[in-house]
Amino acid sequence: MMDSLSYPDVTQWAVPFFIAAILAEFLWIAIKGRGGRYETRDAVTSLIMGAGSVASGILLGFIAWGFFMVLWRITPLDLGTSIWVIILCFVLDDLRYYWVHRLGHRIRWVWASHVNHHSSQHYNLTTALRQTWTGTFSFIMIIRAPLVLLGFHPALVLFVGGINLVYQFWIHTEAIGKMPRWFEAVMNTPSHHRAHHGRNPRYLDCNYAGVFIIWDKIFGTFVPEQKDDPVDYGLVFNIASFNPLRVAFHEWVAIYRDVTQPGLSWKQRLLYALAPPGYSHDGSRDNSETIKAKHLIRNPNDRGTPGF
Amino acid sequence: MPLQILLILVVGGIAAVAVLLHLTGRSRQTYLDEGKARAAWSRQFPEQPAARVLVAQNGKAALVAPEAGQPPLGLVWSFGADAVARDLQHLHLSKTARGLQLQFSDFGAPRANLRLNPAEIEQWHRIIAAQSFDAASGEQSNTAGRPS
Ligand SMILES: [Zn+2]
Ligand SMILES: [Zn+2]
Repeated sequence: MMDSLSYPDVTQWAVPFFIAAILAEFLWIAIKGRGGRYETRDAVTSLIMGAGSVASGILLGFIAWGFFMVLWRITPLDLGTSIWVIILCFVLDDLRYYWVHRLGHRIRWVWASHVNHHSSQHYNLTTALRQTWTGTFSFIMIIRAPLVLLGFHPALVLFVGGINLVYQFWIHTEAIGKMPRWFEAVMNTPSHHRAHHGRNPRYLDCNYAGVFIIWDKIFGTFVPEQKDDPVDYGLVFNIASFNPLRVAFHEWVAIYRDVTQPGLSWKQRLLYALAPPGYSHDGSRDNSETIKAKHLIRNPNDRGTPGF
Repeated sequence: MPLQILLILVVGGIAAVAVLLHLTGRSRQTYLDEGKARAAWSRQFPEQPAARVLVAQNGKAALVAPEAGQPPLGLVWSFGADAVARDLQHLHLSKTARGLQLQFSDFGAPRANLRLNPAEIEQWHRIIAAQSFDAASGEQSNTAGRPS
């Protein structure tokens, strides 16, 4: 069994392209006067989050890598590295991404890592790079375990995962309205992912796809972007800091404060860490279900429309 | 990719974007008038419509009294090109040389530094400390009435 397979780190090699594309999008918006908004501190914070995410991968990546290599030693299966295996791995890894992302919105412990990607009130190509520093601590890499156990080499699994992330870069834009119909039907697009970044009640917990939007359609989480409900970007409860350290760690701090408050049962403490975001032991907070329900009381005509 | 080249690209790229955005006026803070402050408030607290709004003279912050008339009051303040809102619960209020500082017990929204004129500093301090617009003595002309 080979141990020393290596693929290029696609996210690192994509950096020059990221910079060029951001400049191009900015110029396009400046010239056309539409298609998005840029703000200095917001964009710089997003870019620093991206750089920090790469740095945390370099520093902490060995933990996930070590875990995968242990699995690779255990598994008797080896699918090799033919082009068909790479394509199959890419598709299955995209299914993996769908579930990682869905759990990232529905388990607060994983949300604490992912929340920073949603913490900007803007939506442009820099938002794509607002990535987590704390993914390792979410332990969500266990969702990759089946791929390695099935016989996909860890290096291949990380390689296709990198391509997946690079694909998602270009969909973080308002400069593109809709892609051709067939493309919108199969692929994740700027339109679908804009909805995912919405804090509107309609768009909460929708469109978790990475590359193929079909997973959302299969698992019932697809909500098409609605013309009459423009996406309001950001968090249900927006943060008020551009400090990258606060962006990276604010939800972890909030979990710590909630879990350690006096007078809770152990079950309540556990739920503060693992229940969907918005859980509270006394019902004083809203989660996405109650937000949608309250919206429908205020706007009964929205009942039965996508997302409700 | 060699780490050195990656580092140069990342630092250079971030600096270039920052300079470009700043020089093209993308650092400007949003200006709140009463309508915008009201919209920013209901965007964050759709269940508690604003009954009264008091916008700071510089348009960077606004105090909000929810319809029910019960404390806590709320604050909307400009955050880059956008706005954020918080209710004024569990906060530490202090005067600064040019305004007020509100410290929240929220790691993602640690503080709001409000620039206010001298009269506003006194007025806003009284209102926030008392959690009531009625504490604003004689300066009701600034406050918006109930929506019709
Ligand atoms: Zn997400
Ligand atoms: Zn995104």
